[in-house]
Amino acid sequence: MAQVILQRIADGDKTAVQDCLDNYGGLVWSLARRMCRNNADAEDAVQEIFIDVWKNAGRFDENQASETTFIAMIARRRLIDRLRKVTRKPDIDSLEDILYEPSKDSNEDILTSIEAKEAAKAMKELRPEQRQAIYLSIVQGCSHQEIAETLDMPLGTVKTHIRRGLMQMREILGSGNSGNSKEVSA
Amino acid sequence: MKNLNEETLLDLLCKKAVAFLDANELEQLKKLEKEFPEWKDDDSFELAATAINLSVIDSGEKMPFHLRSKIMANAEDYFGWNEGLQETISFEPRNEVNNGSLATSASYAPKTSFWQSLGWGVAAFACIALAVNLYLTRFQGQTDVAGNKPPVLQTPTPQPTDVQKREQLLASAKDTLKAEVAKADPKSPNEISGDIVWSGSEQKGYIRFRGLPANDSSKSTYQLWIFDEAQDEKYPIDGGVFDVNKDGEVIIPIDAKINVKNPKMFAITKEKPGGVVVSDRTGIVAIAKV
Repeated sequence: MAQVILQRIADGDKTAVQDCLDNYGGLVWSLARRMCRNNADAEDAVQEIFIDVWKNAGRFDENQASETTFIAMIARRRLIDRLRKVTRKPDIDSLEDILYEPSKDSNEDILTSIEAKEAAKAMKELRPEQRQAIYLSIVQGCSHQEIAETLDMPLGTVKTHIRRGLMQMREILGSGNSGNSKEVSA
Repeated sequence: MKNLNEETLLDLLCKKAVAFLDANELEQLKKLEKEFPEWKDDDSFELAATAINLSVIDSGEKMPFHLRSKIMANAEDYFGWNEGLQETISFEPRNEVNNGSLATSASYAPKTSFWQSLGWGVAAFACIALAVNLYLTRFQGQTDVAGNKPPVLQTPTPQPTDVQKREQLLASAKDTLKAEVAKADPKSPNEISGDIVWSGSEQKGYIRFRGLPANDSSKSTYQLWIFDEAQDEKYPIDGGVFDVNKDGEVIIPIDAKINVKNPKMFAITKEKPGGVVVSDRTGIVAIAKV
């Protein structure tokens, strides 16, 4: 039932909006709090995110992702965009200093979506150096330079690990569309 | 083999998934998407990054009530529900609203039509029929369907406790190291004791302790950090968060987020709910030196 909330929103069902907030409000708030400088900023961001959710509800394809992941992706996209506007810097370093995510016990019972559970498993299939680089980049928000220093690797190698690791994750999670999956499997 | 332009496109899509693109990169991405239309509007990299992010995020937080109200108001404006409608939608979370009140506000009192009444009548009849059916099948089924085998009760397989898992690790892993847990501040009135066991080959471990004060999980949490010789001391490895809500001995499995190569020290800090990525280390409550 939860999987059809976005389709109901796209159809203009107002009860679906409440369902959406009941199911995903905490998640979006949680993401925003970690990626914004303060609560006021996070509140603004969350309002923008849900407008984006209403706008993009019709684009949701349950064959491509769960609702949780789709909504979290919209949230991340908006939060990253806000940071870009705030920092007005073309490089990623300042963003990544702020892109902190909370860490917690990854007990499977509390993972938030099927893809999240799959991602936790799939991360274990990556080579250790890829896993470390991906984790430090996406979860800890470290810049490529910081990762290079932490893991004592050349910067180019870090970028390669992140790219290859992300592509592999994409393949394992099956999130690539069929046409593109082939292209990046090498 | 992909050509250079497509490689650049993939680089940009990856970068977009983990951080933002600057104006030049966005422009370049747009151009390349025209050249390779099969990649236009591709969300797969972002979805993968999001799934990774979700695998470690605490979604247990609740959105503030006033924010929810604002979002509902925004939705009413966005969808144009305010115009010409008498009903107002409740801003209460659904599960709270359902506790004894209607999902709509007091100003919304829909009239009951004949068809609605008929619907309720049918629903009530269905409930009665279901109740009778349940009664007949549950309570009289043993005599009525005497030829059927009684249902076999499934006994859940007992899962090993953390105590047992710790013992198993100690028995099975040959490279287990052990470290004593002690309070970080000698002046602290809390007598903290315990130990940490860790197996590098299995990348598993347990922390066992007594004396760590119970925390209010809505205000704080404990977080374990692993200082690895192979890693810059500025970036200890996150070993997971946990709450303490009882006295006596507590055993917590260690959840190292990345590979631990050669741990030299473990530390427990008190952090905000959900934990932190980088601790300011002001709240170190216990340490265990290897």
